[in-house]
Amino acid sequence: MDDSRTARLVETVLRCYPARWRRRHGDEAAELAALLIRDGTPAGSIAWSYLAGAAREWLTPRLGRRLSTMTCALLVAAGSLGASAGLLASAAPARAASTSQVRTSTSPVRASTSQASARAHCPPSASEPNADVLPAMGHPRVIIGEAGHGRSC
Amino acid sequence: MGRWDGRSGQDVLRRVGEASVLILISLADGPKHGYALIQDIKELSDVQLGPGTLYGALDRLERLGLIESLPADDRRHPYRITAPGAAALRAHLDSLERVSAAGRLRLQLGGI
Repeated sequence: MDDSRTARLVETVLRCYPARWRRRHGDEAAELAALLIRDGTPAGSIAWSYLAGAAREWLTPRLGRRLSTMTCALLVAAGSLGASAGLLASAAPARAASTSQVRTSTSPVRASTSQASARAHCPPSASEPNADVLPAMGHPRVIIGEAGHGRSC
Repeated sequence: MGRWDGRSGQDVLRRVGEASVLILISLADGPKHGYALIQDIKELSDVQLGPGTLYGALDRLERLGLIESLPADDRRHPYRITAPGAAALRAHLDSLERVSAAGRLRLQLGGI
């Protein structure tokens, strides 16, 4: 491997370290690598050593990093909770709206007829999905579609 | 792990790894920078420390207060062993000596 490629390899690997580490050791580490390569140490083993060192540097827990990790975890948790709540809040009115649309477009008689005919050729199942219930929230039963029974035979 | 003041007498180096012990031994006779440390350690123990391992160990030892960085000479930072570092090294070497003596004695008793 020629000198320029070796230097580029070491530079690339040194960029894997945290900025704080690079500010403190970066120049010296590059010089040390050059000296070791001059002494006959394979560039690949130096790069590998720095790569392993960079991984250790990122994975070693420090107080500041631990706090920032906790902050990130809390933000992610709060964000996902907020998103879930938002989805639930937006889903309930939409379902209610779709129910009322079906009811207005289909007369009660036709609806019950089509439902009955749909069930007639399809045997009832104990495990019929009750997708229109939100049991966890304790919501009342919301009928999604009356034209079919929501399951393929 | 916080700074070690060297007063407890416990072997703080038991958990820091071989590289850290070798660095302290190398620094025991005077300050050295990274390249000189690698050369010296290779000479005294036939162990070639990788540069990544070296800097990791130097940072750990400095955090523990066992070594300190001296003002940079060009781009190189020399490191010096501190008084707690010397005490920790002494305690560790004493502990190794005790273990080594016990091991030799048992080998004798076992007739191996």
